[in-house]
Amino acid sequence: MRIAFAGNPNSGKTTMYNALTGRSEKVGNWGGVTVGSKEYKLKKEFAGDKEVIAVDLPGAYSMSPFTPEEGITSEYVRTANPDAIVNIVDATNLSRSLFFTTQLLELGIPVVVALNKTDINEKEGTKIDAEKLSQKLGCPVFKTVSTENKGLSEMIAKAISLAGTIQTAPYLQADINLHDKAAVDAEDRKRYSFVNDIVAEVETRKVKSAESTTADKIDAALTFPIVGILVFAAVMFGVFWISQTWLGPLVADWLVGWIETFQGWVAGQLENSPAILSALLADGIVGGVGAVVGFLPLVMVMYFLIALLEDCGYMARVSAVMDPIFKRVGLSGKSVIPVVIGTGCGIPAIMACRTIRDERERRATSMLTTFIPCGAKIPVIALFAGAFFSGAGWVSTLCYFFGLVLIFLGALLIKAITGYKYRKSFFIMELPKWKAPSLKFAFKSMMERAKAYIVKAATIILICNTVVQIMQTFDWHFHVVEEGAENTSILASIASPFAILLIPLGFGVWQLAAAAITGFIAKENVVGTLAVVYGLTAFIDTEELAMTGGANTVAMTMGLTSVTALAYLFFNLYTPPCFAAIGAMNSEMKSKGWLWGAIGLQLCTGYTVAFLINQFGTLFTEGHFAAGFVPGLIAEACMVAAVILIGKRVRSHFDEQYELHRKVVKEGAAA
Amino acid sequence: MLAQFTLKRRGSAVASEVDTEAVESAGKRTLLSAEPGKTYIVKEINTDDDEMNSFLFRLGCYVGEPITLVSKKKKSCIVVIKDGRYNLDNLLSEAIII
Repeated sequence: MRIAFAGNPNSGKTTMYNALTGRSEKVGNWGGVTVGSKEYKLKKEFAGDKEVIAVDLPGAYSMSPFTPEEGITSEYVRTANPDAIVNIVDATNLSRSLFFTTQLLELGIPVVVALNKTDINEKEGTKIDAEKLSQKLGCPVFKTVSTENKGLSEMIAKAISLAGTIQTAPYLQADINLHDKAAVDAEDRKRYSFVNDIVAEVETRKVKSAESTTADKIDAALTFPIVGILVFAAVMFGVFWISQTWLGPLVADWLVGWIETFQGWVAGQLENSPAILSALLADGIVGGVGAVVGFLPLVMVMYFLIALLEDCGYMARVSAVMDPIFKRVGLSGKSVIPVVIGTGCGIPAIMACRTIRDERERRATSMLTTFIPCGAKIPVIALFAGAFFSGAGWVSTLCYFFGLVLIFLGALLIKAITGYKYRKSFFIMELPKWKAPSLKFAFKSMMERAKAYIVKAATIILICNTVVQIMQTFDWHFHVVEEGAENTSILASIASPFAILLIPLGFGVWQLAAAAITGFIAKENVVGTLAVVYGLTAFIDTEELAMTGGANTVAMTMGLTSVTALAYLFFNLYTPPCFAAIGAMNSEMKSKGWLWGAIGLQLCTGYTVAFLINQFGTLFTEGHFAAGFVPGLIAEACMVAAVILIGKRVRSHFDEQYELHRKVVKEGAAA
Repeated sequence: MLAQFTLKRRGSAVASEVDTEAVESAGKRTLLSAEPGKTYIVKEINTDDDEMNSFLFRLGCYVGEPITLVSKKKKSCIVVIKDGRYNLDNLLSEAIII
């Protein structure tokens, strides 16, 4: 049996779904958090002995989709024939929500209405007569609070018992020609007046919605151009500072101590075994994976803070205040949401682009959002900040800020290539009611992430590290590589050709090339691989750092200067993301041209940024350009030429289309 | 008819706030020139974009319905439509005639 959860955006569908199934899908206090359907079986306590599958759908205002994710919902309830529908209604906005309800009731599938967020109504003194509403709609109505599990079991039990029955609709659309716009409009107006009549009868409000409240004053300030942007910058800086400079490293130090102890213990156990085995296990596996796991606290704190931000309702305000700026570079205010989510993981960030209506804006956002360093890149940043910049906090802040700058520059470039705007880009965003963020949810979200991180470290990262370890231990004849002849290993011979390309960037050695390449599988691999190839462990030993002031073993072994280290770090941050994120980009963009454009842009960006930092950084610090300046310049010239060529092609194609469009308009005007 | 009905629901306090004079006098007054704190009746919606028009409709922003301006900024504003608050950019405000 399948029960679909449908309702307006931000009515609490996913929160309810999580409560009923025990899952922890992403929730947040803004419309459009869920962008795809998800299904899972109900918990035993709700379903009894029956096998009941709950299907969580993206929010929709009606059966006619406006953004791509709304389409998923109408498509599902129309074609998948669920056995029952739970219509989650935001009780604080009954008059809007019931429009969709009456459409759902027409489908013939039994509907149960869950009047959600009734706790807010109680606080505001809004009363809804549920019994009367149930009579008017001809379906059961339950008052629920999904954040507190209130009223859920009765509601879902009713939905299960109704499965298979036939719903009669209180309001049926007249038999009209659906292609006649005027007739459809008239019908929709009739439907709304039917809804308005019901609301007038069942709802009494103490506080009029249009009345100005304290929350309105806060909103006015937060969406005020300069103030709002400064607040956002301060909030994000706070998030990065707490997670990566203060609390995160504090916990991480403690954890690293334990990992080292464990590594020592493993090495002790292997004392009498062959040296290869010991190297493989203690240095390769425990060391490499440990290097990655050691940064887990930074990621966890970050996730906790981001979850708090997402839960309180701030995201909608940020996207409102950023809209004018983003619009200027050809994106939308809604592009901010993927960017913030992207600080955690690029994949959900790219998926979140689905709520952007304009196709060009949507594709451009999903192309650029991964310039913001994700959680997997935190270990890379922390390693380099610790080893080369004495753990300076400004490094991580710079990485995020620079990512944002690249997004703006990239957006301008895309705008230039794809031509001027051909469609008005409107911005409308619902400002949800503020709510105190739930620490419990934030904690759950953090633990969920930590689990995923550890699983990833224990699977993908572990396998990669082992493979890297083996590849560097043996040469092509499967003989153990002798000391001093490391360049004959399998890994060295594969990575060396790539390393040549990186000479103009200042890090043309096979070890660093290999680490960057494994980074495409998962960005944590950069750290893992470096640990393996250089035989380093325990990266963030702050005591040692304090003593040596940055010129510690890690920095010395890698043979990088501060300048080339920064170039290498930025290269890893701004080249294409991991393969999984590229896959997500592919499915959101639905265009091979855009996908290759995205990968090309990211490769060129990473290369260019590293090139400029290395060459000009060396010029400033040592008074001359670094090695490979001319070949690098030639490579850059090729990139610029390619961009111009693509731009010309896209534009000529675009002009044709636009011309056609204008002709139609002219003809229309003439007629 | 519709307008009268919804106003009744919202109570007389809000209804009296409707700046009828302003609505009547200006031929094509858009939401851009609205004053914060006042409630207006939507006279026409013209975004040149059918999908956008019907999206606004589904939110409850259509001819004859009240719309309240909460606050206004250089490039955007916050409005109340039915029981929800929305941030609109000027491009959209311009298309809502009150």
